[in-house]
Amino acid sequence: MPDTARSIELEILRYLPESGHEPWYQVYEVPFEDDWSVLQGLQFIKDDLDSTLSFRWSCRMAICGSCGLMIDGVPRLGCRTFLRNYYPRRVRITALQHFPIERDLVIVADDFIDKLKRAKPWLIPKQARALADGEYLQSPAELAHYRQFSTCINCLLCYAACPQYGLDAEFAGPGILALLHRYNADSRDGGREQRMDLGHSDAGFWGCTAVAYCSEVCPKEVDPANAINQNKMGSAIDYLLRFVRPRGSGE
Amino acid sequence: MKRSHEPVFWSLFGAGGILAALCGVALVFVTGLGAPLGWIVSPRLMEFDTLRAFAGQGFGKLVIFAVIVLFLWHATLRILLLLHDFGLGGGRLTRWIGNGLALLATIFTAYLLLLL
Amino acid sequence: MSARIEPGRTDPRRPWRRSMRGWWHRNPYYLRYLAMEATSILIALYALILLLGLWRLTEGEAAWAAWLAMLKSPVSLALHAILLPVFAFHSYSWFRIMPKTLPAIEWRGKRLKQTTITALGIAAAVAVNLALLLLLAGVQP
Repeated sequence: MPDTARSIELEILRYLPESGHEPWYQVYEVPFEDDWSVLQGLQFIKDDLDSTLSFRWSCRMAICGSCGLMIDGVPRLGCRTFLRNYYPRRVRITALQHFPIERDLVIVADDFIDKLKRAKPWLIPKQARALADGEYLQSPAELAHYRQFSTCINCLLCYAACPQYGLDAEFAGPGILALLHRYNADSRDGGREQRMDLGHSDAGFWGCTAVAYCSEVCPKEVDPANAINQNKMGSAIDYLLRFVRPRGSGE
Repeated sequence: MKRSHEPVFWSLFGAGGILAALCGVALVFVTGLGAPLGWIVSPRLMEFDTLRAFAGQGFGKLVIFAVIVLFLWHATLRILLLLHDFGLGGGRLTRWIGNGLALLATIFTAYLLLLL
Repeated sequence: MSARIEPGRTDPRRPWRRSMRGWWHRNPYYLRYLAMEATSILIALYALILLLGLWRLTEGEAAWAAWLAMLKSPVSLALHAILLPVFAFHSYSWFRIMPKTLPAIEWRGKRLKQTTITALGIAAAVAVNLALLLLLAGVQP
């Protein structure tokens, strides 16, 4: 019986901090199946070829945001990228760009986590509410105002895409700023003033230079470039009127 | 957190950008090819007397000022950004020099127009 | 594999930081962004040519004539011929990025698509440039 099993090569950037070596590329030959994702390829390597390979994953259906990778230089989710789109070429896989590498394909996301708090990504009520006041009421139009920006899965692909995040240590980045906008745009929220401390700064909206690659790579079509840049006009007007306008009058 | 002063420069950048986007091609053609060569527009458009008359009155001064100054401010922001992106100095000193030069050019343009 | 810990350190973590050198040629998307930004250099050049002309205008007929002669030189004509597509690309890239700066706009119950806004912008650019050209063509000093 002739062997018709097909295979594909995955060239992976390895890094083992305890080894003392610099990162190096290692090539693995995995079976090629028409329906296999890159993540499945990695799992085959770990299960059958090299158990020392480390990578993050969980849901394998593009909702948990764990498996962000650079695949042939493009930020993509491993579970949502298919080997068939690269076959028979070799596929190069590295850890997400613009983050330090912890080990192999695992990045250090501490910078993102630390900066996330500054956006205050939670509902800040306009007025204190008692349980007896009942639930918030929100119309479909009010929901539509922020819904798109609420679908972010924190996968960090936009951070790997954003050159300003890579170049500027202070910049909060696309995902966090999109979340900032998401809460400002929520009719239930009254915390805009508190968030704009970050928003109006160079770490906020003004650190963005409208490259817009973030929106290209987002697997959930959040469009962080839009979330950020639609705030620039308002921020600029607020800047011009800031000595004239009383505080808390809203933007 | 310190408030960014970028809005000032971004507003000028935006105004220059829209002006260039809506009028740039026509202006370049008229001043650089049309009038010098006599194509489509009359070469007399850029005669000394014609332009002195145009620049002598309020509307003409405004147009000339807007085109030169807004185009320069538009370019300043992007050039500073390019320097930053290429790691050739995106720091405060570079921005002070860049914006300072644009401001000097603005003042100079206004001065020249007030002479006419 | 046991973690080799250097003397004085208790944390075996050693995150590897990658350089941003040459980031701009890692992806064709970045090159398009740089092309868009780089148009500004030539826009500045054009503005400076006009500024020079304005200066010569204040210095009298002789100076102005010299500047006009420079404009008619092959170098200047070639430069302006190059400036035409540069400004056209500026118009195109300007309206490609403009929808990102706008909140969602509703038209007849549905959100106006970003590609539609871009198309409208480019149409406006063509119309205004054409109108300006025709206006100036009609001026007979």
